[in-house]
Amino acid sequence: MVFTTHIFLFYFLPVVLLLYYLLPRHRNAFLTLASYVFYGWWEPWFVVLMMFSTVLDYVCGGIIGAPGASRARRRAALLAAICGDLGLLAFFKYYSFAAENWNRLAAVFGAGSLPLLHVVLPIGISFYTFESMSYTIDVYRGIVKPARNFSDLSCFVSLFPHLVAGPIVRYNVLAEQIAYREHTLEKFTCGIALFILGFAKKILLANPMGSVADAAFSAAAPLPLDAWVGVVAYAFQIYFDFSGYSDMAIGLGRMFGFVIPKNFASPYLAASITDFWRRWHISLSTWLRDYLYVPLGGNRRGLRRTYVNLALVMLLGGLWHGANWTFVAWGGYHGVLLAFERWLGKKTAYEWLPRRAQVAATFVLVLFSWVLFRAASFHQAAAYLGAMFGARPAGDAAALLASEMYTPHRLAVLAACVAACFQPMEVYDWVERLTWQKAVALAPLFLAAAGAMFTQTFNPFLYFQF
Amino acid sequence: MGRARQLVFLGWFLALIYGVPAYQSAAEILRGRAPQFLEVFTTTPTRPNLRAFEHRVEDASLVAQAVRPWMQDAWFALFRDAGEKVVTGREDWLFYEPDLRYLVEPGEPGEPFEAIVDFRDQLARQGIRLIVLAIPGKPSVYPDRLTSRVAAGRTIRSSTLDLLAALRHSGIEAPDLFDFFAKLRREPASSPWYLPQDTHWSAEGARRAAAAVARRIRDLGWIGPGPVRYTERPVTVRRTGDIARMIRVAAIERHYPLEEVSCRQVMRQDTGEPYRDAADSPVLVLGDSFLRMYETDEPRAAGFIAHLARELGRPLASVVNDGGASTLVRQELSRRPALLEGKKLVIWEFVERDIRFGTEGWQKVRLPAAP
Repeated sequence: MVFTTHIFLFYFLPVVLLLYYLLPRHRNAFLTLASYVFYGWWEPWFVVLMMFSTVLDYVCGGIIGAPGASRARRRAALLAAICGDLGLLAFFKYYSFAAENWNRLAAVFGAGSLPLLHVVLPIGISFYTFESMSYTIDVYRGIVKPARNFSDLSCFVSLFPHLVAGPIVRYNVLAEQIAYREHTLEKFTCGIALFILGFAKKILLANPMGSVADAAFSAAAPLPLDAWVGVVAYAFQIYFDFSGYSDMAIGLGRMFGFVIPKNFASPYLAASITDFWRRWHISLSTWLRDYLYVPLGGNRRGLRRTYVNLALVMLLGGLWHGANWTFVAWGGYHGVLLAFERWLGKKTAYEWLPRRAQVAATFVLVLFSWVLFRAASFHQAAAYLGAMFGARPAGDAAALLASEMYTPHRLAVLAACVAACFQPMEVYDWVERLTWQKAVALAPLFLAAAGAMFTQTFNPFLYFQF
Repeated sequence: MGRARQLVFLGWFLALIYGVPAYQSAAEILRGRAPQFLEVFTTTPTRPNLRAFEHRVEDASLVAQAVRPWMQDAWFALFRDAGEKVVTGREDWLFYEPDLRYLVEPGEPGEPFEAIVDFRDQLARQGIRLIVLAIPGKPSVYPDRLTSRVAAGRTIRSSTLDLLAALRHSGIEAPDLFDFFAKLRREPASSPWYLPQDTHWSAEGARRAAAAVARRIRDLGWIGPGPVRYTERPVTVRRTGDIARMIRVAAIERHYPLEEVSCRQVMRQDTGEPYRDAADSPVLVLGDSFLRMYETDEPRAAGFIAHLARELGRPLASVVNDGGASTLVRQELSRRPALLEGKKLVIWEFVERDIRFGTEGWQKVRLPAAP
């Protein structure tokens, strides 16, 4: 189910809220059930897969955390959980990709080929796999105690607000809240405000920007200006789409009493790529730091190893986003930039510029990475980058793109995106002190966004594919 | 924010998310039906069933139905935004989004090329010749009405020309209507060759195209001059453009006045009756709504087919299918072998966007063997 649909907003959410607050007990079990319905709405059998992952981690977490468990037993259980979780992810997300690449190599070297299967990617599998895996690892590390019961863990893994596209919440963040959480009017109204803002970001900003980006990226040979505007529009689309989803997830969480940490901190105000990764998809970058970068040795094994670790983590981070070499290249590009900044002593090559120019330079570096991220292939990415620099002759029809890209509506949205992106206040912080004036301002915003939702065709969130 | 105001804010939000389904259910009960959302409990939970249920709920939503026109009207008033299928051009010209998409997105002509060559070969085995007419989309002829980036009076040389060149290279007759309309645009004209709020050509554009095609047929000597004499009668029709109608919001439609189109109705000189097709004609015309315009639409007998018939001096046979020129018209030939009986020439018309977006794509269709 998608948050920005009629069925979620006017049926699922009201029913779940009503029943949740009517229930005197077993609210976690009810939330789990509701989350399974939410998830199964896409494809009912996906629920079985998620339950398998949850059961595996529950059992392994129990073995690891059992009093008197031997070190070998604990390690075996950890290994089983990691292999099980990553095995699921590897098969459903990467099998086709691996088979295609293997078969290409096999054709060259004359080795046996793998059968090409039509594997359906279960939505959100990357998110819940990382979440459930972090539970077992944290139990192994002694950071958290094993879940009290299966209901607690399944509630954590399946909790519908953050299930499909994050934020990637760790068990230690929610464990206590699952056991006990306060439901206050302030928390609920704050949740409503966050939900409305995220909803508006998606419907009023991300979707129109997506149309501009789609027009530019699908053009045969756009003019340089159009190519630049197209990638800027994509930068805004992905930010408002993903941060909008995160805001809605956090807002919905608050309506049910959960406090989920923020996932974005004005990323396009970053003055360096290192800074960007402190602000963009914070829950993923901290997950990768804590469960991959640090175990690899982090920066404790010398400079060269630090660079390798950074590059490796970003490559895998890229691969996490999707089974395509363009995502790996996107991660590699960021890894190289991070390593370079580390080599300069955690500085940028443009440190000498005024702060605003540093932000602009970082934004441009990020734009190049979005070309890789958005393109369906290296060929398309190279062609698009070529178009940005006028290296490709634009066709006779290229001039017509203007009529789709620069409509008054889309120019107004572009201006609104610039204004919203390049100011320091994230909506997460804006709603912390929710005043009456803010609440009043949110009312027409929600009405406009809901009204616009009725006129738009189905438009799922970008991060659902990951 | 104080507790009372928090409660007001909460109440407002809840009223909204509960109000919509409550109103819907109440309306359905008052109409003597069970609330639609209850269907979910009787639906087998499979992906297609759940999607279908979701669409039914969205489509039936009374609130959405009531709000949608208001929103579209407001969007249009604020931003001149007329919806996803419509691109608003300059001077109130409207364009159909797929027409534009066809021009700016890359495309391979492989499938249409193979289907056309196959069709030509099958016709040739029956002694029938083929002329392929790819009609330029409106943005190809009037790009300057779409964006100020294109100089006034210029036209677009679209990738359709590559397909036409490939067809000619394979020996298929494919007149260049792009060059033809580019020349027409340089002529002083009282009205445009395409309708400002429609995807199609004007009556005069259709008439001039028919004259050009007839000239080409005469030059080729494929069909001799016929025995029937026709005359023309000026008629004016007032119509709402099909793009304006696509918007489906009355308030926006009202913004665009009815288009007045000057037509020349083709009449038989001997009987004074408007032109009519003849199934036994040696010429069969296949095509889409470009052929329907002014022909079976008002004022009738004033479209491309009637004018081509007048130029050739004989009535023609025709098979017209809106949006179905790529495959459906040939499937019709396949189903009805009599349509090809006695034919010497087939003129196959399609609008260029159908090269990529034609209904049913470009299938190879097996024609019935010659009797």
